[in-house]
Amino acid sequence: MGKEQEFTRIIKDHEGVIFKITTIYTNNHEDQKDLYQEIVYQLWKAYDSFKGDSKISTWMYRVALNTAITRLKKEKRKENQIGIDKIITREIEQYDTEFEERLKVLYAHIHGLNELEKGLMLLLLEGKKYEEIAVITGLSPSNVGTRISRIKQKLKTQIVKK
Amino acid sequence: MELEEMQTIWSQMSDQIEKQKKLTDKMIMMMTQEKYRKKLNRIAYPEMAGAVICFGAAILIVINLDKLDNWYTLVSGVLSLATLIVLPVLSLRFINRMRKINIAANNYKETLLEYAKIKKQFQSATKAGYYLGFILMFVILPVTTKILNGKDLFAETHSIWPIIIAIPVAIVFFVVFSRWVYRSYNNNINSAESLIKELEETN
Repeated sequence: MGKEQEFTRIIKDHEGVIFKITTIYTNNHEDQKDLYQEIVYQLWKAYDSFKGDSKISTWMYRVALNTAITRLKKEKRKENQIGIDKIITREIEQYDTEFEERLKVLYAHIHGLNELEKGLMLLLLEGKKYEEIAVITGLSPSNVGTRISRIKQKLKTQIVKK
Repeated sequence: MELEEMQTIWSQMSDQIEKQKKLTDKMIMMMTQEKYRKKLNRIAYPEMAGAVICFGAAILIVINLDKLDNWYTLVSGVLSLATLIVLPVLSLRFINRMRKINIAANNYKETLLEYAKIKKQFQSATKAGYYLGFILMFVILPVTTKILNGKDLFAETHSIWPIIIAIPVAIVFFVVFSRWVYRSYNNNINSAESLIKELEETN
C-alpha cells in the first residue's frame, strides 16, 4: 500500500477522534473547520517521523492535541459558542433533543477546564487507560491519576455552583 | 454531572459520529496541501501587515533623516525609528517561536509548557507595545510634519491653545486606554502564568 493510501486509511479510521478534539478546542464552526484541516496537515507532515514505536492512535492523539493547543488564534473576549446541535450529530434528522441537552451540559463542563485538564478529560472520556494517557501527555501514570481525581472534584464544584 | 454519566454520553456521541463518517480520500489529501491552509494563522497576517507598515515608515524616516535639522525633531525621529523597528520584530519573533514548537516530537505537557511560556511573553510584549504605540503617536507628529510638509511643529505653532486642549485630552485618553489594555491582557497573562506553574510542579 502506498504512503498516501495508508495515510488516508488511518485518517478515515480516526476521523471521529479528530472531530471530537476539534469540538473541545474551538468555540465556533469556522475555527473548528480550520483546526480539523490543520490537524490533518500536521499529521501528514509528521507521518514520516512515525516509527511505529507507539500505537498509531497514541501518536495521532499526541500530534492532534499538540496542534490544537499551539494553533495561532486571535483571542476573542466573547466567542460564539459552538451550536452543539449542529456539531455533534451532523445529520439533522438524527437529532434527539434530550440527548443534545445533555451533550451541551457535558461540553459546558469540559470548556470550564484548563488546557491540561481538557486534554486529560478527553483522553479519559475516550476510554484511555492511565498508562496510555501518561504516554500521550508526558505525565507519570500516578500523576494522571491524581489529576483526574482533582478534575472529578472540580466537576462536582461546578455542579454545586450551577 | 458525574464522570460516569459523562462517559456514557461521550460514548453514545462517539457511536453516532462513527456512523456519520464522511471523509473521502480526495478530501483528506486536499487537507494535506499547504495551499488549502489560507484561512489559517489569522493572527499572523495582521501582525505581518503591521510589520510591513512599520518598516515602511521606518525606511521613510531613515531616508529623510537629514531633514530633521534640530535636536527635538531628531530625538523624535530616533525614538519613532526605534519603536517602529522594535515592535514588529518582537511580535514576529514570537510568532516564529510558536511555529517552531515541535508538534510531532513533543508530548502534550512539553508543548503546553512551551506554548504557555511563549504566550505569556507575547501577551506581555503586546501589552508593552500598546504603551509604546501610544508614545509613538506623539513623537511621530513633529517628525511627519517636518518630513512631509517641511514645517517645524514647535517653532511654527504660535498659539498655546492647541497644546492646552491637547494635553488634558491626551491624559484622559491615556487613562482609559491603559485600563483597557490592562483588562484585556492581564487575564491571559495570569492564566498562562498559573498553567506554567502547574506544569512545572508536575512530574
